[in-house]
Amino acid sequence: MRNQDDILRKLEGLQTIESASHVLGMARQSTLNLLSKLKKQQYLTTSGGGKRKRLYKITLRKQRPRDPGMFDIINKYSPHMKIAEWYDHQVHGVYGPEEALIDAIETQSFRVILASLHLFKHITDWKKLYKLANERDCWNKVGALYDVARLFFKAVRIPSRYYHVLSQKWVQLSQLRKKNFPDIAEKWRVFIPFNINDLREA
Amino acid sequence: MITYNDQEVLFTAIGKRLHKNVRCIAFGGTAMMFYGYKDDTKDIDLLFEHLEDRAEFIRVIESMGFQQSSLFNIYIPEKLDPHKPLMYSREGARFDLFVKQIFHTVTSPKMKEDMFARHEFKETYALTVAVLRKEFIVMLKSVTERDKDFEDILTIVKKEASFNWQYLIDEVLWQYKNGDNWVLMDTIKMLHELRKYVFVEQKYLKLLTKELKVNKK
Repeated sequence: MRNQDDILRKLEGLQTIESASHVLGMARQSTLNLLSKLKKQQYLTTSGGGKRKRLYKITLRKQRPRDPGMFDIINKYSPHMKIAEWYDHQVHGVYGPEEALIDAIETQSFRVILASLHLFKHITDWKKLYKLANERDCWNKVGALYDVARLFFKAVRIPSRYYHVLSQKWVQLSQLRKKNFPDIAEKWRVFIPFNINDLREA
Repeated sequence: MITYNDQEVLFTAIGKRLHKNVRCIAFGGTAMMFYGYKDDTKDIDLLFEHLEDRAEFIRVIESMGFQQSSLFNIYIPEKLDPHKPLMYSREGARFDLFVKQIFHTVTSPKMKEDMFARHEFKETYALTVAVLRKEFIVMLKSVTERDKDFEDILTIVKKEASFNWQYLIDEVLWQYKNGDNWVLMDTIKMLHELRKYVFVEQKYLKLLTKELKVNKK
């Protein structure tokens, strides 16, 4: 019986059943039995199957079941622009587009905020968004992003009772102090870092 | 022993009982479980930035039946003052709760910015647990020097082909320059021991011993 760590080290990465049995020098059925055991121990996850080739992702660390976080929600709703997460964000509890939008604004990351514009298509609870934004003092940023998003795609309309500027102080979305979309920037007192081309890309 | 599932259930239950948002940093066995390095741990090590956050956390765990217990026989006595943790236990579960510092080790800017994961356990308020990078976990485990800490270091280093030694050394030197007198000696000791089991380049040890010699002079 070989040491499990050695087996994992040999198999680490993406494998098909053929490549795994080749690496291990084992018969197909024996390899399947081994992969099944590794899956039970959480060292392996699968993807594909059906018409596609089944792929086995094997790691030396256990792959814990995940709850979605900010990056998952943004990548789910952003059709073209996907974000590579630089840390693993998970929320165990209620977490939807409203919370993800506020978290995206808090990152102050150009790409994350740009990709999060698509969340405006899925905001249903404006009251919750308004409350969350107020708690973190970023309602003006939400308003500016909403106006920018509306220029490029259909977003859920904001109820008029929430559509107002809360503070007259100029704030930045990212490190860039650019006044793109000057009317919107002036209205909400927010420096908007992205231009028309960035939005077309998104 | 606390398993990964126990830990998740426990954090969720704590998150539900909070009266304010609480942020903390997970290190030690807890962080290793989030990483997937191991399945259970003796204790849950948490570092709070604010005393009020720890007080709220303690209020909740006391309401769940946890009681304060003694640090005797768990930590090395010379290291305990003045930043000793508060320990709370119930049956097989134990919390080691630090504030601002883990003994002499402070939260560096890198620790705050460069984390591995952020888990939020939410109900009305959220318990946010930031999980430190593996290099920090190794550094802190060499400082705490409890039973099994070296075993854990070995597990991490063996499983991580991409372990960034330079990152670890930079952090150790930063901590040393910022007043942690223990960390340099402890890391040197740990690296000497580690070299019996895995390959660690000599240059990293030299960087640390050089710093030690400079300061002795």
